[in-house]
Amino acid sequence: MSYFSNISSAITTLVDGMKVTMGYFVRPREHVTLQYPDEVWPIPTRNIGVGEIESYNTIRSKLVVDFEDCIGCKACERACPVDCIHIETFKAGPDEDIGTTKNDTKIKLRVTSFIIDMSECMFCDLCTPPCPEDCIRMTPDYQFISNDNVKLAVTPEERWRDRDHLIYEFSKVSPIERAQRQADAEKVAAAKAAAMEAKKAAAEKAAAAKAEQEAREAEKARAEAATATDSEAPPSPFISETPVDSAEPTPINIPTMESAPEPEPMDRIEVPMETIKTPEIPEVKPVSTETTAEPETSSEPDSSSEPENSSKGETENG
Amino acid sequence: MIQLLANWILSFDILSGMGISVAWGLSLFIVAALIFVFVAANAIVLVYIERKVSAFMQVRLGPMRVGKFGTLQTVADALKLLQKEDIIPRSADKVLFIIGPWVILVASVVTFAAIPFSDTLLAANMNIGLFYIVSISSIVVLGIVMAGWASNNKWSLYGAMRSAAQIISYEIPVGITLIAVVAVVGSLNLQTIIQEQAGTGNLFHWIPIPLPNWFIFHSPFLFVAAFVYLIGATAEINRTPFDIPESESELVAGFMTEFSGLRWALFFLSEYANATLVAFLVSIVFLGGWQSPFADYEGTQIGFSIITLVAIMWTLFVRAKTGRLSVYPLGLSLVITIAAWLFPGFAIWMASPGIFWMLMKAGGIIFMLMWFRWTFPRLRVDQLMYVSWKVILPLSLINLMGVAIWMWLTGEIQF
Ligand code: SF4
Ligand code: SF4
Repeated sequence: MSYFSNISSAITTLVDGMKVTMGYFVRPREHVTLQYPDEVWPIPTRNIGVGEIESYNTIRSKLVVDFEDCIGCKACERACPVDCIHIETFKAGPDEDIGTTKNDTKIKLRVTSFIIDMSECMFCDLCTPPCPEDCIRMTPDYQFISNDNVKLAVTPEERWRDRDHLIYEFSKVSPIERAQRQADAEKVAAAKAAAMEAKKAAAEKAAAAKAEQEAREAEKARAEAATATDSEAPPSPFISETPVDSAEPTPINIPTMESAPEPEPMDRIEVPMETIKTPEIPEVKPVSTETTAEPETSSEPDSSSEPENSSKGETENG
Repeated sequence: MIQLLANWILSFDILSGMGISVAWGLSLFIVAALIFVFVAANAIVLVYIERKVSAFMQVRLGPMRVGKFGTLQTVADALKLLQKEDIIPRSADKVLFIIGPWVILVASVVTFAAIPFSDTLLAANMNIGLFYIVSISSIVVLGIVMAGWASNNKWSLYGAMRSAAQIISYEIPVGITLIAVVAVVGSLNLQTIIQEQAGTGNLFHWIPIPLPNWFIFHSPFLFVAAFVYLIGATAEINRTPFDIPESESELVAGFMTEFSGLRWALFFLSEYANATLVAFLVSIVFLGGWQSPFADYEGTQIGFSIITLVAIMWTLFVRAKTGRLSVYPLGLSLVITIAAWLFPGFAIWMASPGIFWMLMKAGGIIFMLMWFRWTFPRLRVDQLMYVSWKVILPLSLINLMGVAIWMWLTGEIQF
């Protein structure tokens, strides 16, 4: 009998299972799987609690810098707990006018490089409050995917290649200008260092002369004392340590034009302009099957790369 | 069909000089190529459908990215498979390793020679068609054993051995089940079997429900036999829940473990060719083949009206269950019903036999196989043997005797 009950239970359970799968088969599958690049979930909005700025009413995600307003004060760099902001500034000359920010602050520093390493950023939002110009801020764009594997920014050796697309360069200063600024700064620094060294050398010379004189005087005094009494005078510490021939600048610590790191940024000059990421806030669209544009592509440096491509295409066609 | 094709070739003035034997050979080649193209295209379509069906049964979406709704996904997969490196393990038996997949493919493709797609569309009208198909399709297991042995891999060998044991076990009930049908018809010719199922009649001869004269409605025994055959055939073509030769969770991929690229694609091709073959055979033997389910055009109208009623009930049921309105089955059946009532030509076309009905029935059976596959868990080896020897084989023997008694009771045969 257990034979037949076995068979009948087998049949009933199989039919039950088939009912279940058929139930799922005919069920509408509208919101089961999100077709990600075509449709995205609406971004939750909530105030992250800094001021009344409208754009702050958002989730904490990708950072952007309104580069025109940045005065290069490095307050954000100092605030960052993980040190993922790297700013390079050069002082503008006294007669140079770089411009003013939206708060009418005169920009005194030329920011040649403003890198945020998004792969290290933990989206703590600690860098935005200190900014005096409100120019570094968080955007609701959470999509960091990218199709291009090109190097987007400087890649020191310690960076991994596969993170390259997460290193964002916000500076609008071209690599050529940046190299120029660096070279100028090196020159100024070298001149300054040379001047310092010369000054120091002169001071040392004077000191040496003075010490020599003192030593001579001490010798004299000792001789006098020796003749007067047999007591020993302490030896002067200056005699052995003072360099006599320090009038010429020593090669140490003086960067000359040969040792200045000029050739190194020359490599970077080769980097074409379109490979540098100039982030913009992409429009993240709410769920809809009709949106076809990837949000990521809209954050690509359209302005620089597209005309290039199209002109190339035209020349090829021609 | 080959004769027709040869005559058609010879009817052209330019070609008529080639002689009957050359024309015959040419048409043989054309028909073989057509069958192969059918099998290949069929595999590509079925893989896509299978992935979609499995996805829907698991509340997924399935392939969506390549082409609209992922329709080109399997084409892309096939192209990828063709480009793949052809790896032969160093310690493999090279000869068997190379010919194994081809044996499987050839064995599953040549069976289509005897399948009648419609009353004229068949490659070879053999008087032993059923026997031919059953015997040739069991050559597949030879290729599987070759492939498993040649791979020199324990998983492959286990898979091959299981496959051999499985086909030995299930060939018997399948054969006996088919013999029950052959006993009714008195012929092994598939065309004769289909022609026997023309027209409509009562369910099980006495119950007054007008149904087509298909063998599944011939008697309770053949009704059971249809399911017995479906189960046995599922086991023969190594589909889930009887896929122990390639059971992924136990044997990596069974006899396919060492194969890659094109050779693996051949396995896949033959797998779907076999599934299609089983679907065709079930629809030929039990569901009337290319016969229309409707006797005449009035029957079409009434039949579709009934189907629409069922669809309305189904829609209401789904609405009550899930709270959603699924209009597609209802809309489709409504459109067809209105068309059948408005255009008598359409109704007559629906009532006429043809390849359309063959493909519809086979498609339904293939869907059923997929439904099985994505519902049932795999059987253990000993359970498989239990099902075959202790359940299905006695059942098929009872069916055979029962059919004989039934025919004597209904007066189809006299002593
Ligand atoms: S959000 Fe936090 S981790 Fe990211 S850059 Fe700003 S301070 Fe650094
Ligand atoms: S705190 Fe603001 S102004 Fe200062 S360097 Fe950062 S982004 Fe620029």
